[in-house]
Amino acid sequence: MRAALGRTVFLGCLWAAQPALAQTPGDYTIRASLNSDIRGTQPGGNRDANTDVVMMHVLEGLVAYREDTSVGPMLAESWSLSEDGRTYTFKLRQGVTFHNGATMTAADVVWSWRRYLNPATQWRCLPDLDGRGLSKVVSVEAVDAQTVAVTLDKPSAIFLSIIARADCGQTAILHPDSVGADGQWREPIGTGPYRIGEWKRGQSIELTRFDRYASRQGEMDGFTGGKVAYAARLRFVVIPDASAARAALLGNSVDVLTDVPMAEATDLRTRAGVTLLHTPTMGVTAFLLQTRDPVLRDPRIRQAFALSLDVRQIVEGTMEGMAQQNPSIVPIRSRWHDEAQSQRPARNVAAARRLLAEAGYRGQPIRMQVNRRYANTYDAAVAAQAMAEEAGLKIELEVLDWATQLDRYTRGDYQMQSFIYSARLDPSLSYEMIAGPKETQPRKVWDNPAAQALIQRSMQVTGDAERQAILAELFKMFSQDVPMVILYNQPDFLAGRDAIQGLRAWPSGHTRLWNVWVR
Amino acid sequence: MLRYALNRLLLSVPTLILVSAAVFLLMRLVPGDPVVLMLGDQADPQQAADMRAAMGLDRSVFVQYGLWLLHAVSGDLGRSTTNDLPVLPLVLSRFQVTATIVFAAVAIAAVVAIPLGTVAAWRQNTKADFAIVSGATLLLSIPSFWLGLLMLLFFGLKLGWVPVVGYVSFSEDAFKAALYIVLPVATLTLIEIGILTRMARAAAIDVLRLEYVAHARAKGLRESRVLRRHVLPNAFAPTLTLIGIVLGNLLGGVAVIETVFTLPGLGRLLVDGIYARDYPVVQGCMLFIATIYVVVNLLVDLAYPFFDPRVTAS
Repeated sequence: MRAALGRTVFLGCLWAAQPALAQTPGDYTIRASLNSDIRGTQPGGNRDANTDVVMMHVLEGLVAYREDTSVGPMLAESWSLSEDGRTYTFKLRQGVTFHNGATMTAADVVWSWRRYLNPATQWRCLPDLDGRGLSKVVSVEAVDAQTVAVTLDKPSAIFLSIIARADCGQTAILHPDSVGADGQWREPIGTGPYRIGEWKRGQSIELTRFDRYASRQGEMDGFTGGKVAYAARLRFVVIPDASAARAALLGNSVDVLTDVPMAEATDLRTRAGVTLLHTPTMGVTAFLLQTRDPVLRDPRIRQAFALSLDVRQIVEGTMEGMAQQNPSIVPIRSRWHDEAQSQRPARNVAAARRLLAEAGYRGQPIRMQVNRRYANTYDAAVAAQAMAEEAGLKIELEVLDWATQLDRYTRGDYQMQSFIYSARLDPSLSYEMIAGPKETQPRKVWDNPAAQALIQRSMQVTGDAERQAILAELFKMFSQDVPMVILYNQPDFLAGRDAIQGLRAWPSGHTRLWNVWVR
Repeated sequence: MLRYALNRLLLSVPTLILVSAAVFLLMRLVPGDPVVLMLGDQADPQQAADMRAAMGLDRSVFVQYGLWLLHAVSGDLGRSTTNDLPVLPLVLSRFQVTATIVFAAVAIAAVVAIPLGTVAAWRQNTKADFAIVSGATLLLSIPSFWLGLLMLLFFGLKLGWVPVVGYVSFSEDAFKAALYIVLPVATLTLIEIGILTRMARAAAIDVLRLEYVAHARAKGLRESRVLRRHVLPNAFAPTLTLIGIVLGNLLGGVAVIETVFTLPGLGRLLVDGIYARDYPVVQGCMLFIATIYVVVNLLVDLAYPFFDPRVTAS
């Protein structure tokens, strides 16, 4: 299994490092699969992961995530922060052109930002920037034609991380003609290397190369860096069934499979003519424990559950060696994840039994909600059920459809859940995702006021060392409270035909087809 | 006949209203919130509440239903919460795909299955009958997704005769369109052949036992003529009823076939709508499917007298 993993990674690296054969823009189409149609074209509006994948080829913001999940400049040439930590001044890149041929200026940036901050736009990230979150944007002003100043009501260490998020549409800078005279959304006139072509609803969406794209210098780096649109067209084909998608790749009906499920990935890594790439993403797979539940509110029972599990074995067994266990909410590929956050107590059934006895657990059944949409979370639950039983914990699995499980999660209506979180690229946002008062936000898993105060602090400090120390403290508190048992960061599987060159998986999990060419 | 048809259509109105009310209420009873699905695990409570209000989901179910029904009467089935498209054109465009496949498959299946069933009945309890019945039972028993995947892997992948995924409409390119639908049509045809053959056989056995068939034989008519003139036309009427039911079922969407072959049909729209809790789409699809049932059954009933003169519209 390890040999297979090594081979896949080695081939992946070799593949990415191949010399540039026919590495010039050409008149061809790269076809990639999507498991469902995109929802819309409005940045940060009605979207899902597939929408983000497509739209990140079309849209660009002032800043973007790098390969190492730090934030780097995109349409901004650079930025500076005022001494009081409240005003970000962005110097824009010269010569950036919109898809309609207009040159991007500070006025376009101000227009785009004010539109996002208007509640009528229903921008999904508005709550993070209108005072409901950590800070509020109080003004966005053009200093000159190439400079924009964004002022916050108080300092925020996560401001750039928020505006770079793909689900926020990277706070993309748009030309005002993207919106009609009536204020209604028309189409995205952005600055990305591709623009929207034909969208056949439910079937495919085609992007066409933007020949006047102004690329940054340097190598591709996450969503930023140099971008070359080698393929004249990108066609994202909707293939809902994973087996059909695999057949389409093997039958040369598509060139790239995005978001390959685990079952297909294990098959594809042995196929000739296909390369499978994978890397841990920032998403988290975990067992959630309801700390308000009459049984599970006793931390000893939660600790007993954690001790009853051999997480390494669960991860190895369910992910076939293609994922690595991680006990921390901070993703393993984050630059904030350190060795201390990799430590997990070894399985200890005797200790688990002792804790259960101390807590007076008498075999009350504990129901764990699971779904089959994310098959690996179901498999992990089955393994955990068996392991916990050895320690005397009686866990029953309740299989729900994803919509129902998500609804129960949001309402906090569960004892246990085998759950999957989407990616957060900042450690404070990772903790914020799970921590909060259950009274007002029942979806929060970890209700610990001291931890919440520390998380708030981590969002305000600007020094790396201080922030790392806070994260270490948070990890300790989290390990004691056991509001959830984190298993691993789910990998992103990406498969391509051997003729497709330059394809790279990265922690964000979003497939990028710029800098990808056909050999 | 016209009055009969109009009466039937009028009688179907309460049925459709009942169906719409049942679907509307059932969808609201199903756990899962479309707003939470849209916002995901990052849903801000205030933002979710705002979105719910914008979608009209904060009103009482009865008000929501009343408003929806009012608009539905004027042909406005609302807009999809998933992609903001108007539901009626969406349903109609998806129905075209499903109808193309279903009509082709059922027509071919009927042409093959009815003679096969008749021959099996004529050769009842012989090796030919056994072979036909066994074949039909086998086809009937194979799950459509499995048969579809096998066809896809063999003809699409191994032999490379047809494209594996995708769809092209006949208005775009008739030849390509035919290539794309050949496998789904073949899959559906094979399954429907199983159902229709068994029905045709049972109907033909009943007719073969009747006195006028014995009389025709006693007159010295050739067996082929007996079958063609006396058995087949009389055995067709019950099979026609089954074809009507099958058509009604399939036109409501062949979600599995559409998913396996990546066809943008009505069934896939409905299933995707259910998973996404896209209430307007599910309600629109279900109302449309109920209407199809009503219309197809009416057409079958109206066609019945042509095949069985004993039955009249009156």
